[in-house]
Amino acid sequence: MLKAMVKRELTSLMRRKRMMALQCGLVAIFAVLIAIRWPTDARMALTGSRSQQVFQLFGYGLLATLLLILPVFPATSIVREKKQGTLALLLNTPLGPWRIFFGKLTAVLALSGVILAMSLPAASACYAMGGLSLYGDLAKVYQILFIAALQYAVLGLLVSTFSNSIDSAVRLTYGLVLGLSVMTLGPHYFFQGTKGYLADLGNTLYALSPFGAMMSLTGVADAGSKGLIKKAEILGQFTVTSLIVSAIASLWAISRLNHTIFDQARSQGTISDDQTSSVRFFRRLFFLVDPQRRSSNISSFANPITVKEFRCRRFGRLHWLLRLVAICAVLSLGLTYATTAGTFDWGVETIGGIMVVMQVALLVLITPSLAAGLMSSERESRGWQLLQTTPMSITRIVWGKLLSVILPLMLILCATLPGYVVMVYIEPGMKLQVERVIVCLAAMAIFAMLLSAAVGSLFKRTAAATAAAYGALLSICALPLLIWLGRDAPFGHKTVEAALSVNPIAAALSVIRMPGFQDYSLIPANWWFLGIGSIASLMILLAQTYRISRPQ
Amino acid sequence: MTTDQPRTTVTDIPVVVMEHLTKQYGSFTALNDLTLTLNAGQILGLIGPNGAGKTTAIKILVGLIRPTSGTAKIDGVDCVSDSARIKRLVGYMPDTFGSYDNMRVREYLDFFGATFGIAPRARAKRIEEVMETTGTAYMKDRFVESLSHGMQQRVGLARTLLHDPKVLILDEPVNGLDPQARIEMRDLLIQLAKRGKTLLVTSHILPELTRICDRVAIMTHGKLRAFGTVEEIGRQVSQQRTIESHLVSADQVSIAANIIRQAIEPGADVVEAPAEAIVRFRTARPESELGEVLAQLIQGGIRVTQFREVQTDLEEAFMSFTRPPQATVATPASVGGPIHA
Repeated sequence: MLKAMVKRELTSLMRRKRMMALQCGLVAIFAVLIAIRWPTDARMALTGSRSQQVFQLFGYGLLATLLLILPVFPATSIVREKKQGTLALLLNTPLGPWRIFFGKLTAVLALSGVILAMSLPAASACYAMGGLSLYGDLAKVYQILFIAALQYAVLGLLVSTFSNSIDSAVRLTYGLVLGLSVMTLGPHYFFQGTKGYLADLGNTLYALSPFGAMMSLTGVADAGSKGLIKKAEILGQFTVTSLIVSAIASLWAISRLNHTIFDQARSQGTISDDQTSSVRFFRRLFFLVDPQRRSSNISSFANPITVKEFRCRRFGRLHWLLRLVAICAVLSLGLTYATTAGTFDWGVETIGGIMVVMQVALLVLITPSLAAGLMSSERESRGWQLLQTTPMSITRIVWGKLLSVILPLMLILCATLPGYVVMVYIEPGMKLQVERVIVCLAAMAIFAMLLSAAVGSLFKRTAAATAAAYGALLSICALPLLIWLGRDAPFGHKTVEAALSVNPIAAALSVIRMPGFQDYSLIPANWWFLGIGSIASLMILLAQTYRISRPQ
Repeated sequence: MTTDQPRTTVTDIPVVVMEHLTKQYGSFTALNDLTLTLNAGQILGLIGPNGAGKTTAIKILVGLIRPTSGTAKIDGVDCVSDSARIKRLVGYMPDTFGSYDNMRVREYLDFFGATFGIAPRARAKRIEEVMETTGTAYMKDRFVESLSHGMQQRVGLARTLLHDPKVLILDEPVNGLDPQARIEMRDLLIQLAKRGKTLLVTSHILPELTRICDRVAIMTHGKLRAFGTVEEIGRQVSQQRTIESHLVSADQVSIAANIIRQAIEPGADVVEAPAEAIVRFRTARPESELGEVLAQLIQGGIRVTQFREVQTDLEEAFMSFTRPPQATVATPASVGGPIHA
């Protein structure tokens, strides 16, 4: 019975044309990677340094590819069946929750196996170049990749059992993956080499990230070139913690796969205005902007589309954003105060770096989730044909939608302003740097919004649009950083600088003179790239909107 | 129209006019030379199997599709070249609801009211009115995605009424509703027609159209096959009408059947039903010659209590027209008369 389940899952995954294109693309990328570093000299270096350089990039590239591509499949797996009604049919068969769960998990792991299999010729070529151990290096890289795939597949399935919509499942799963793989590296970077509970916390979180494990294995320096932790320790810790997380998440997900997943009463539409004054008071205190209050009529001056977008999204409504902004503001002020008071000996550049990273992480995480579905959600919910029968013009509709993203992004950008103000007060010489950082972040926000909206508008389904927008943005933000990781070898200064000039995160970090980025001059090249990219994205968005709004 | 009270708002002013509308997708013809006129205050039922071209015709009227040839006008406004004015004249309810997540019914209506540029104060009043009309006032705080299908159809209808359109175009408004909800929706549509709205309704549930429509148009394979009142269409289908002769005594059934066989065309279908004391037969003879058949029965000593035509119902008509093309006998030309309501 499990076999039937796996077969069904894999068939529906592998039948898609996009999957074939993806596999061909991966093979081509890995082949190019090996080809450009294949020995051309008649003499061969016995140290195998060239092979190791390629191997480092190869490992990170494969991990990044896996993390970009894989999460969307488990994230949509259960919630899609729930929406289509086939989950009820499955639960009504003798399969049971264990077989359903493991059938789905096996299918996702088989898919990751296919992705990893695409890389085997390239891995063999690395091994053939010499300098690599089959068990000590290659096997361990694949161990990390497999464990990461297992952990994120299980987490994706767990998220999928909780979600009520496909796009929210995708959003939450990518957020989890980003948080567990990238954000966990932050505390380690700032607290490494120190003693105390903060350093221990940093090390523990570091061991959760597959990037941490990969760094320790391939011998690449940590972000910022301060790596101090032994590699064997990290790999073991990563394996153990990932397996524990996977086991707990699996049990949790299996326990959710029963009739209770459907046993939800329809919302009765409770309104705070109809409740007692004490309830209203506490809700006001807790939410600041109560989402359950009875809303007033849309003003004549407001764009109805903007108001509609705010009202119908769950994440991105004001009560969430205000909390997020408040946390950011408090954190940035706290960090600045801690440095001023001498609690941490970090320097203003490092504090600035933390704030930039914090803001960039929020922008990367939030922008695609707000902007990718602007058009696709209308098409998916069939609201678009209703909008077409209203007198609203295309430009007003697009502007209204973009405005609904611009406002939350402005709030996020403003969140760390108090921290920057204090920073300039402490170090007046940093005024120009801070100004440039703010311009970098604003340009990144606009670019991320327009890119996500343009990519998303090419899809009819919100889940596909969200995944594609995350993929596009993370590619621009993450792939140049892979080249940056190989900044000593195999890539030279010019190559790394050229690659980083398209990366808005690197530009902001270089302006603030964050260690590791201070040697690169990325402004104004990065601004040109973001500007041209934004205009091109806007053109695509408008053209696509015009195309779908035209009578057929 | 078989409603209890006839409407008084029906006029002879044409509001929806489609002339030689054709829509082709490559070699496939979705709509083939459709010509129809609908007068103010009328309810037109557009019926046909899936893929008949009903939704294509409707989407041309609301400006979502451009015809390959032909013209469509609503209240004199061209649906293709002046789609901006059409949007204010027409209230369109598609076959899918068009829901937004996390939005309450009142917010939903407020949003669509705002897209039509209705001022906030007037909008609030209008929302109350349409909620009252459609019976949705009690669900104003509910989330639209949590509503049942029947409730969503009502909210959808309320949305189409917000800008007080002259013409309502409703695609499958009773599809998927339970019998009670269907009755309520039917009454609602009749109420709207009484208020002077012109309605174009598509449906697969034929008895609903029988009850509410002034005119019915049957389409198959993109072509109009029949048009008229339900009774007219029944006659168009049944070139051979079914006549029943009710007798006083069951003993006379065989004698009466023999008289009828001799009086009508040879080989005609004559059925004896002694248990009911009825002779039923199908004939293509006109009304005047049927009188002759009745006279012969009486002259033959047959005591007749009723001699009447059995109405062909819309379902029979629909099935007749939606048979494979070779079996279809009627064409817009052959069904006779100009195609005007």
